[in-house]
Amino acid sequence: MAIATGLKYLVASKRMTVHYPEYVIELGPRYRGMIRWHKDKCISCSLCARICPASAIKMYRKPGEKKAYPGINYQRCIFCGFCVDICPADALEHTRTHDVAFETLEEHLYVVEEFDKDWVSPALLEGAKKVKVEFDEERGLVHVAGD
Amino acid sequence: MWELIDVIIRLLLSPPVFAPLIYPGLVTVLIILVSLIWLGRKIAAKVQLRYGPYYIAKRLGGAPQLIADAIRFMFQEVIVPRTADKIPYLLAPALAMTLGLVPVVFIPVAPGFAGIVTSYSLPLALALSSLLPITVILMAWSANNKFTIQGGVREAFMVIAYEIPLFVAALSMGLAYGTLSLEEIVEKQVLVPGAVLNPLAAFVFYVSMLMSAGKLPFDIVEGEQEIVAGPFTEYSGILYGLVMGASYAQLYVLSMIFTEVFLAGWHPFIGSLGALYLPLGGLALFVKAYLVLAFSVFLRSVYGRYRLDYALRIGWERLFPLSVLALFLSLGLRVVGVV
Amino acid sequence: MSWRDEKLVVDWRKVAKAPGGEEIYELFIGPQHPASGHMRFIVRLEGDIIVDVEPDIGYVHRTMEKLAEGREYIKNIPLFERATIIDSNNITLGYVRALEKLLDVEPPPRARYLRTILSEINRIQSHLYGIGIAGIMLNHSTVFMWAFGDREIWMQLAEELTGARLTHTYSIPGGVRRDLPDGFEERFEKAARYMLRRLEDYGKIFLYNPMIRSRYEGVGVLKKHEAERLGAVGPNLRASGVRYDARLLGDYGAYSELEFEVPVQEEGDSFARMVQRVEEIKVSIEIIRQALKKMPDGPILAEKYLKLLPPKLRERVLKTGRVKFPAIFANLRPPPGETVARVEMARGEVFYHIVSDGSPKPYRVRIVTPSFRNLVLLRLLPREHRFMDLLAIYGSLDYFPPESDR
Repeated sequence: MAIATGLKYLVASKRMTVHYPEYVIELGPRYRGMIRWHKDKCISCSLCARICPASAIKMYRKPGEKKAYPGINYQRCIFCGFCVDICPADALEHTRTHDVAFETLEEHLYVVEEFDKDWVSPALLEGAKKVKVEFDEERGLVHVAGD
Repeated sequence: MWELIDVIIRLLLSPPVFAPLIYPGLVTVLIILVSLIWLGRKIAAKVQLRYGPYYIAKRLGGAPQLIADAIRFMFQEVIVPRTADKIPYLLAPALAMTLGLVPVVFIPVAPGFAGIVTSYSLPLALALSSLLPITVILMAWSANNKFTIQGGVREAFMVIAYEIPLFVAALSMGLAYGTLSLEEIVEKQVLVPGAVLNPLAAFVFYVSMLMSAGKLPFDIVEGEQEIVAGPFTEYSGILYGLVMGASYAQLYVLSMIFTEVFLAGWHPFIGSLGALYLPLGGLALFVKAYLVLAFSVFLRSVYGRYRLDYALRIGWERLFPLSVLALFLSLGLRVVGVV
Repeated sequence: MSWRDEKLVVDWRKVAKAPGGEEIYELFIGPQHPASGHMRFIVRLEGDIIVDVEPDIGYVHRTMEKLAEGREYIKNIPLFERATIIDSNNITLGYVRALEKLLDVEPPPRARYLRTILSEINRIQSHLYGIGIAGIMLNHSTVFMWAFGDREIWMQLAEELTGARLTHTYSIPGGVRRDLPDGFEERFEKAARYMLRRLEDYGKIFLYNPMIRSRYEGVGVLKKHEAERLGAVGPNLRASGVRYDARLLGDYGAYSELEFEVPVQEEGDSFARMVQRVEEIKVSIEIIRQALKKMPDGPILAEKYLKLLPPKLRERVLKTGRVKFPAIFANLRPPPGETVARVEMARGEVFYHIVSDGSPKPYRVRIVTPSFRNLVLLRLLPREHRFMDLLAIYGSLDYFPPESDR
């Protein structure tokens, strides 16, 4: 009976909502988040710029320098991870942050030195608590306190 | 000077002023609107594995959400389409709310305490509440829009389907108790509530009540998916708030009548609390009516929407014969002498 | 003299004449509608009976086939994935299979099993989406919220496997990009048991609810010979009694080595289509269980591309399970020729045809999506039905406008 099922769910709550931004889900180690570039490992092969499907990574050369280095435009990036997967020197890696917000268009572009920064979620910077996702047979997903 | 204030307070607390104004009148309707819609959203959210209104007042669970909605409606621009018929377009929502609230004056909350004390309160209240669909059709026609006309036609169909079982079920209870006054009907239910006496009539009245107020599974008139918002498509701002409130007001009036006719009204607290101040005895009535309303709103999370011809078929093929059977059951009970 | 004073040169009443008489009532269920999706229906009603429905598509047309001609082969994988983002592995798998046939490379067995697992997870996600949308079209908000909430479980599983919740971009020519994480089997078992229990609750509150049954039974009946003649695909075809499934062709994924029964219903009405989707979810869970049990060991990228990596990277790929593309991926040049590939998506069979002329960018890519083939059903099925049945039929057909418009 449909009404009985409805009443059963009314009484026993099994919600799996995460109250963002008081709580932030701690993403797994393989999550494809914002990209970070390491300048000391880069060999300027420009394979990342060649394979990017959205033309988000382009190579920039300062006048007078010999090597060109990549810069990224987050307005175009689709976080597919091709650049990370193709870099032969492991200079690009995914961080575990995804919820960064930009306020102006110019903030989207990160060229050479600016590209070499670590990303932290703004909700965490404002004091959110971390939760981890676990599977549960009764409730589907439960969120337990993270580290 | 103090006598003047005494006279004013006595005037305020007298039945013809207290009943329509405070309980079961305007103030109660306001409380019901603000809390019932919130309760409905929270219940639906709980069944659907989510939180309903939450952020507005975290510790209260989002209770002032409706007040925020009402304030928003006040500030929203009221758009009047150029091709609409202006005077009916602007008048009809106010008329709907008024007609939805007028039957309240006939409903007694304690022995002898009603806006207008009459011995025909049951058919009068029901007859007045059946005037509301005319305003809906007026809204639909004046907005001059294909979707609204479809909604108005659906409302016309539904009215004919549910009004007859509603009246016959209510009148069958009147027949069983031998009186048409709501006060006396409640007085006769001291031992046995009306729902136990004539469950057929209770069921028919409840389903007709849902059809009348347009609650799921019968929200065909404001069928959001197919005809945008039915007759209410073109309304925005405070007019929209009024029409949405009108349907809840009608549900409230009908559920008060349901509680008084079938659920023993204001018993059992009338003796104790009634001695203090007569309308306080009607607290049990309010609580029971609220439970009936909460259940009607809960049904929203369980059912989808019926197709129009199926709903009409329910009205004519199932509810109408059942209501006639209820009539005969009442007759039988009366003849046998149970009542 | 304003334009209002000029006489009508063309009598529009004669030009815009459509079938039906004076009582025909034309309604535009347009794109700005609470429940029309990204498309418009031009519905002609006579009273409450639908005389004619004309679907007006093209609101989400993104010229994917033309864009594909301007990008290299590997860059087209995320492009085609966005056609049906809720079903992403299936729609890219067709492209990748066609490309692999051109490049003459075969994925290793472990990669084929991994592709199968993700394909089935996507199928479950997409069917849940379809059930939710069908529910909200009948204003049954509970099953809508439940279906979208239960998708979270599967999206979490997909995120652990590929790294992204919805835009997986998992298959590449030659294999897949990531290997299974540890503990995937236990988490999947919990998710599967939870899902099977929830499907019963779905039945009680939505599918076998007598109210919903009354709206779905006998509505939009698609007979068997009609389905075959019109070219319907997917669960709509299988609910009319035709046992056709591109997974059974056996030339992609690991389906030829797994045992599973493709469910088929007989009646062909909307209720049968909804039951068909629920049954397919159960079959998908079975397939993933089998695939996890029978998973062979081995590399996840084809030997032909692994040997192009320097030995240190090659060992790391085999050990950690995160693939490194060889540099040739940025510049794939298949030999001139043309290939076709067919993959069973959640909504039906998708068909790819790639023509290459030896350059790094394809000459022509043609994709026929299942929703595009089911479009004709939206035109013919609602005739002679009541107006409110239009949305019931639309929900049960699971038509996805972005997929049809590409």
